[in-house]
Amino acid sequence: MNVVFAVKQYVSKMIEDSGPGMKVLLMDKETTSIVSMVYTQSEILQKEVYLFERIDSLNRETMKHLKAICFLRPTKENVEYLIQELRRPKYSIYYIYFSNVISKSDVKSLAEADEQEVVAEIQEFYGDYIAVNPHVFSLNLLGCCQGRSWDLAQLSRTAQGLTALLLSLKKCPMIRYQLSSDPAKRLAECVKQVITKEYELFDFRRTEVPPLLLILDRSDDAITPLLNQWTYQAMVHELLGINNNRIDLSRVPGISKDLREVVLSAENDEFYANNMYLNFAEIGSNIKNLMEDFQRRKPKEQQKLESIADMKAFVENYPQFKKMSGTVSKHVTVVGELSRLASERNLLEVSEVEQELACQNDHSSAHQNVRRLLQNPKVTEFDAARLVMLYALHYERHSSNSLPGLMMDLKNKGVSEKYRKLVSAVVEYGGKRVRGSDLFSPKDAVAITKQFLKGLKGVENVYTQHQPFLHETLDQLIKGKLKDGQYPYLGPSTLRDRDSVTLWGAIAAQNPGSLGML
Amino acid sequence: MASNYPPPFDDPVEVREGFLCPLCLKDLQSFYQLQSHYEEEHSSEDRDVKGQLRNLVQKAKKAKKKLLKREGDDRTDTGAQERYESFSYGGVDPYMWEPQELGAMRSHLSDFKKHRAARIDHYVVEVNKLIIRLEKLTSFDRTNTESAKIRAIEKSVVPWVNDQDVPFCPDCGNKFSIRNRRHHCRLCGSIMCKKCMELVSLPLASKLTSASKEALASHTSPNSSPNSIHGSRRGSISSVSSVSSVLDEKDDDRIRCCRHCKDTLLKREQQIDEKEYTPDIVKLYEKLRLCMEKVDQKAPEYIKMAESLNAGETTYNLEHANDLRVEVQKVYELIDALSKKILTLGLNEEPQPHPKTLQLQRMIRYSATLFVQEKLLGLMSLPTKDKYEELKEKRKQEMDRKLHMERQATLETQRRLEEKQKDLVSRSTAAPNGEVPYPKRGTVKKSEGWLPTSSLPRQREIADPLLQQIDNITSFIKQAKAANRLDEVRMLQENLRQLQDEYDQQQTLKAIELSKRQAEEEEMQREQLQVLREKEWEREQHKAMSQHSRTRSLDFREVKQHQHESGKENLNQIAQSLDLDTTQMKSSPSSKTPSPDAVQKQVPKENSVFPIKPREGPQYIRETDQNQTLLLNPFEDEADTSQVEDPANTLARDSSQVVSLPTKALHSDKKEYNPFEDDEEDQQTNGATVYAPNPFEDNGNSFQKSVNDQNSGNPFEGLSSTNPFEVDDNEISGEDIIEEELLLQQIDNIKAYIFDAKHSGRMDEVEVLTENLKELKRTLAKQKEKSKC
Repeated sequence: MNVVFAVKQYVSKMIEDSGPGMKVLLMDKETTSIVSMVYTQSEILQKEVYLFERIDSLNRETMKHLKAICFLRPTKENVEYLIQELRRPKYSIYYIYFSNVISKSDVKSLAEADEQEVVAEIQEFYGDYIAVNPHVFSLNLLGCCQGRSWDLAQLSRTAQGLTALLLSLKKCPMIRYQLSSDPAKRLAECVKQVITKEYELFDFRRTEVPPLLLILDRSDDAITPLLNQWTYQAMVHELLGINNNRIDLSRVPGISKDLREVVLSAENDEFYANNMYLNFAEIGSNIKNLMEDFQRRKPKEQQKLESIADMKAFVENYPQFKKMSGTVSKHVTVVGELSRLASERNLLEVSEVEQELACQNDHSSAHQNVRRLLQNPKVTEFDAARLVMLYALHYERHSSNSLPGLMMDLKNKGVSEKYRKLVSAVVEYGGKRVRGSDLFSPKDAVAITKQFLKGLKGVENVYTQHQPFLHETLDQLIKGKLKDGQYPYLGPSTLRDRDSVTLWGAIAAQNPGSLGML
Repeated sequence: MASNYPPPFDDPVEVREGFLCPLCLKDLQSFYQLQSHYEEEHSSEDRDVKGQLRNLVQKAKKAKKKLLKREGDDRTDTGAQERYESFSYGGVDPYMWEPQELGAMRSHLSDFKKHRAARIDHYVVEVNKLIIRLEKLTSFDRTNTESAKIRAIEKSVVPWVNDQDVPFCPDCGNKFSIRNRRHHCRLCGSIMCKKCMELVSLPLASKLTSASKEALASHTSPNSSPNSIHGSRRGSISSVSSVSSVLDEKDDDRIRCCRHCKDTLLKREQQIDEKEYTPDIVKLYEKLRLCMEKVDQKAPEYIKMAESLNAGETTYNLEHANDLRVEVQKVYELIDALSKKILTLGLNEEPQPHPKTLQLQRMIRYSATLFVQEKLLGLMSLPTKDKYEELKEKRKQEMDRKLHMERQATLETQRRLEEKQKDLVSRSTAAPNGEVPYPKRGTVKKSEGWLPTSSLPRQREIADPLLQQIDNITSFIKQAKAANRLDEVRMLQENLRQLQDEYDQQQTLKAIELSKRQAEEEEMQREQLQVLREKEWEREQHKAMSQHSRTRSLDFREVKQHQHESGKENLNQIAQSLDLDTTQMKSSPSSKTPSPDAVQKQVPKENSVFPIKPREGPQYIRETDQNQTLLLNPFEDEADTSQVEDPANTLARDSSQVVSLPTKALHSDKKEYNPFEDDEEDQQTNGATVYAPNPFEDNGNSFQKSVNDQNSGNPFEGLSSTNPFEVDDNEISGEDIIEEELLLQQIDNIKAYIFDAKHSGRMDEVEVLTENLKELKRTLAKQKEKSKC
């Protein structure tokens, strides 16, 4: 169940099917990001795809010597564009692939537009989501909920994304959802509906244990996204922002021109692939090794350039050298910037208090620490607001809740209205009233003893004490302990044999956008 | 071993090489370390348990192993398996998730085509109708025909719409009057005003009509309408007349038509143009791709050569490699030049090409640069001549050193074997003359059936149709495995098991029958032999060797009685005088039931050619003897040359074997030492004629296998330089004969390969193999001549 590989396979298949010759890839906005997440330009160039065009671009020239591979979402606009395209074909032959189910009537209108018989293939390839990592995908949707109910267009897009995911992985799952969340239920129903409607498509080889699709609502755990993370990928995402594997470094002081935007993709960056889940300290030492390795290489290359043969060898090895130097400079820049931000924003201290807020139940110490940090001028308004949000979420109903005081502190610190509003918003979004489960107080004896022991032993790493609620949910799921009451099955086909449920949950979270996990 | 995870697209079957322990797969760096490791760690382990365990791990490989006992092969496979597994504990790595097939997809093509066909038919019919009419209108000489007649013809082509029915121009809506007169479209008969009238020139008409005819002749492109033109037409549109008509109404060189018809015709014309026109970029691009393909072919070849040469090997010719290098580099230059040309296409023209065209050109150039960069990177340089000589020298020294060490080890073994020999002889003399129980015989026979008594070449195995079949299936299994078709593998294995059972049964039956017959014959011959014995006795006293050989070829049971008295001495003598023939000896005197070939030989010989020419025996032994010594030495060569020794091995499917050759060869070496010890023990404890089946079989086969491998490696590469047989100057004379022997064997192998390749339809392989076969035969002929001289 590797989503990156699944999409990559689809794209490779498209390109293969079109045979040899120069090709142009005709996409829409969304499929462009879908493809760009799994293929690099040089990789796809080697498959003779030389041009990448948007179907809605007007500035396309007629090039009859090119074959066109169209990978499009089956939207009304796209079908309309395609009809226009087929009426006056710009390329010699068209291979059309829709990323999701397309209606029969659309096929018919396309067929009628193809008077010159330029279409050689028309298929559905279900690569309708953005594969971020092998086990993470996203639909890059923003604001899919208004209040606590779905925006209808976004709901259908999410359902489409999920069904495409299931089809691309060839799974026909049982569906469970979070009872406390209405959007989760709606989504589950939508997915089920599609599966029922397209039962022919979902007719896969039955496995002994049916796969499971678990739909959760992000609002169930509003804490995790508020914390600062200390692993490489998470830090980059948190502090610099990753958008379709691209990182914008233009705000970094003194950045060189070619490093303004870098691509971090585990698919073709070995260092990144090996280090993306390691914590910051480990990355530090790894990047040092990388540098040393690189430097050992460098002087050798330069020293030896005495004879012609050496020169030749250097030139022959140069591309590799250059590639390595690219990797080195990229990661050194990124890690350097991360560490600069961490110290500038006093993130270690902030993170310690955040973790305390998330994991411990000592109100007075937490309150003190938050106040202390709010006085610290190094703490940014964003981080300050986040601390207060965490406090608000945790001690929402605490008897000696002093949120108003903290809000005053925020105001005194000069935190803008925009951020201060977020505090009440986040309580509304993920407060106790909304949550289906209790995030903070341990529920049973086992958990209490565990926490007690943890307190005795001390924490291994103050900055990574917090374990996302998702971890527990999935753990319960694997052990078959996930309560039917909280996460009911959809439909009458309740499978009671919970011991053998395979882990296969897709979590469609709704903030900030849809993020799926496998 | 690389520490990377295998990329997702990689073939999972990888070959591990080096000095790996066959049991625990530890890499032990050198042969000697491995040997000691094996003796220390594994000598006491139960072989059967080990075998079973391994079977559990790789059920898929079981059948092959059982059949051919290709231990070496087996080991590499286990290696691959192990390697694969060793990565799986990561858990995090997604590449280790279960293999993922291509996701679901659904085609709408048939639906699409159905709808399109309905529309296209209509469209095509329209176009064709127009073209047919156009043809009719232009098929006569318009200039020399009177306008009235023309009009009559035109009216006959298409019925004109009645003037009264159309009071207004349908296109612009103007009222027709005397001034604004009606005009008829000659193609569809409709009416329009003068302003809306279009004209089709004769050249255009002829272009359209003649193109349609071409399309009819060969409609390959999807654009060509399948049901173009039905009527036959004379395409002779004679010269366009230059005489302009005075008459207003008469159109000499054009045909009036309406806007719609003209549109359709123009569209058609565009299609024709596009079909015929190939832009420069396409031509250049095609050339570029050709060059790239060439590089893809040649570069790996060159890299192999360069690696081999840089290692100081003599497999390839330095000059040849240099030529190839120059050739590859030239192709690179060509790629560079072509892509540059593509990049600058049309840059100097006015108007400038469309930005997209330029982008396309840039991208092609970029990808070509990437291609060159990536490939050129692997294109290592060659050693200079002097340096190469140096490398060669170094390598030779290395080899000599190894050879020396190997020799010592061999001597050691030999001593052990001699000791064992004593035991054997005493044991065999102790064994009574009577028969061993049948079932036992069966097993012995089977196990010995695999024993290549070094003169027992492969073809004997192959000759049995059952075995041949088994052989084929094994190779099929291997291929299926390589192609990852697991269910097929399973099926084939089932098949194989059945065949093997069948074969076992057959062999047992044969054994029973044979032993019965032997018993009878024994009776008959006893008297005869009694007479002969005395004569032979004398001869044997003179020639120890010939005695031995006769022992082999005659019925041993009889001879054993002599051995009672003199066997010990003789055999020891032989063991000393013959370098290494101990394997042979061991098998011969001890076998109560001789190996199948011995039996087969025995039967006719006993009946007809009883008095054998005394010379035959010794020669035979000498052959095998040399064969073995030879075998020992080349192993070393193989062992440290690794795959480079025979890189251009054209047997593609053997390539994995080839790579793992060192291990195999090494293993057979090792088998030389260790299993024999085991044998000793076995035999001592058992005191019977049954050999421990496994080690012996293994030994025999890996033995033979390595011979084969050696052959497959060397003769291909041209016997000129690297043939290990020739490299070793200190080799014993009689090389030629052995060479012949090996060549024959090799020829048989290749024949089998060809058969196999034909069977599975790999014709290109067949070709290559046939080539090889021819070469081998030529070499053989040469050898024969030499030996005659």
